[in-house]
Amino acid sequence: MNKRYIFTFSPDIVNRPIVSEIAKHYDVMVNILNADVTSGREGKLVVELEGADGNIVQSLEYAKEAGVECVPLEKQLQFDQDQCVACGSCTAVCFSGALMMDADSWELLFDPEKCVVCGRCVKACPLQLFRIAMEE
Amino acid sequence: MAVKKSYDEINEKIRKGQAVVVTAEEVSQMALECDPGEIARKVDVVTTATFGPMCSSGAFINFGHYDPPIRMEEVLLNDVPAYAGLAAVDAYIGATAESKYNETYGGAHVIEELIEGKEIRLKAKARGTDCYPTKEVETIVNKELVNEFFLFNPRNAYQNYAAAVNSLGHTIYTYMGSLLPRFGNATYSTSGELSPLLNDPDFRTVGIGTRIFLGGAQGFVSWYGTQFNTSKQKNIYGVPTSNAGTLSVIGDAKQMHTRYIKAAYMERYGVTLFVGIGIPIPVLDEELARSVSIRNEHIETTVLDYGRSEKPIVGTATYAMLRSGTIEINGKKVKTAPVSSLLRAREIAGELKQWIQGGQFEITKPIEHFPTHTHVKGLKRQ
Repeated sequence: MNKRYIFTFSPDIVNRPIVSEIAKHYDVMVNILNADVTSGREGKLVVELEGADGNIVQSLEYAKEAGVECVPLEKQLQFDQDQCVACGSCTAVCFSGALMMDADSWELLFDPEKCVVCGRCVKACPLQLFRIAMEE
Repeated sequence: MAVKKSYDEINEKIRKGQAVVVTAEEVSQMALECDPGEIARKVDVVTTATFGPMCSSGAFINFGHYDPPIRMEEVLLNDVPAYAGLAAVDAYIGATAESKYNETYGGAHVIEELIEGKEIRLKAKARGTDCYPTKEVETIVNKELVNEFFLFNPRNAYQNYAAAVNSLGHTIYTYMGSLLPRFGNATYSTSGELSPLLNDPDFRTVGIGTRIFLGGAQGFVSWYGTQFNTSKQKNIYGVPTSNAGTLSVIGDAKQMHTRYIKAAYMERYGVTLFVGIGIPIPVLDEELARSVSIRNEHIETTVLDYGRSEKPIVGTATYAMLRSGTIEINGKKVKTAPVSSLLRAREIAGELKQWIQGGQFEITKPIEHFPTHTHVKGLKRQ
């Protein structure tokens, strides 16, 4: 199965190869979807973990013990759906399938599970209804 | 016998609550089973609608006279400049005018907030004259405090609009949305078979004085729109295959609703205004029955490369194709997305249908028809 997380690294562990360790020791494929890491500062990675459920759980425990904060991704993109006029501009830039127009009703469908938090919808929405909340 | 109905006959039915009113999508479905003659007999009025970003929009406001009077020369509404080269407390706030301090806030937002009943800060300056001695006023206005507040949009409701792609190696940000590099996506902005001027392509019933749905209230077609172009190529179904006719519309903004007038900011393009317009097309005869029966697969539009300044044509697509989610450009499958809301356009067509069925809204014979041979000029340095 696939699960997406935001990993937050404190400055003291930014230099440790934790992602490689997860991949090597727990047989979990790590796809880095977004990265903001600088030596000496707090770092953030948006990752998709692919592997057996048990292995993913263990790898997350390992990361947490190492000092990485692991937050499931679905909490991270905020969408003010009540204000949406369903113009569809955001679907022009969404390639993960998270934002789609319903082919019959032409309502905007939003599936947070599919979102990779690329941020393109944030700029594309003419009503500025999307926000990426990196801090929970 | 050929069907002929007059505006008066249809209005008589509307007043009695007997008019048969359907939306342009509903009549297109009917047309799969009925011929134009049957449709002309059965249907009296077809409602059409669109809800999309229409930059060439704005509003006139009269603020009322101050004591001692001022002839306003510079007007700011929440720091957005309005045109005040008029007498003396009239101004025109254009939708795309930007705040002096925030490029994501503009005239469209001022208009939406006024409609919503919010207060707006007015700053006015003048040089001072004998009859208008005051040089500066700063105060709060809202739609109850001002005299008139009416939308007057010089170019709305484009009859068809070209779809947009980008051939460049980087994303470009346009009024057609974010266009991804190397034909990464295509955007389009017409409600297709529901779109007003595609259902009356020769402007037989839409003309000067036509009563319409504008922003949730009754409004009127005031004139043909700017860049009104009857010279564009038409396909075998009689509809132009790119931007052609336009409308200039007017209506009392105090009666409008922010559900149908919505300010927007397009990344790195600027501020614009979503405008909701609904237009009734009376089915006077078989020819109009045929026009309103048009379907998305019959309406083509050109696809333009917005990556190059001359915007060359790189393909054509029907609205059926554009709505399917992908079109093909130079052999490549390109993802499509709308920038105008079909959902809300349908809501407007439904609302207008109810108004007519309820006898609250009668159809109007144009006072004057639009010109029939127009083309659009460019601008050259002389």
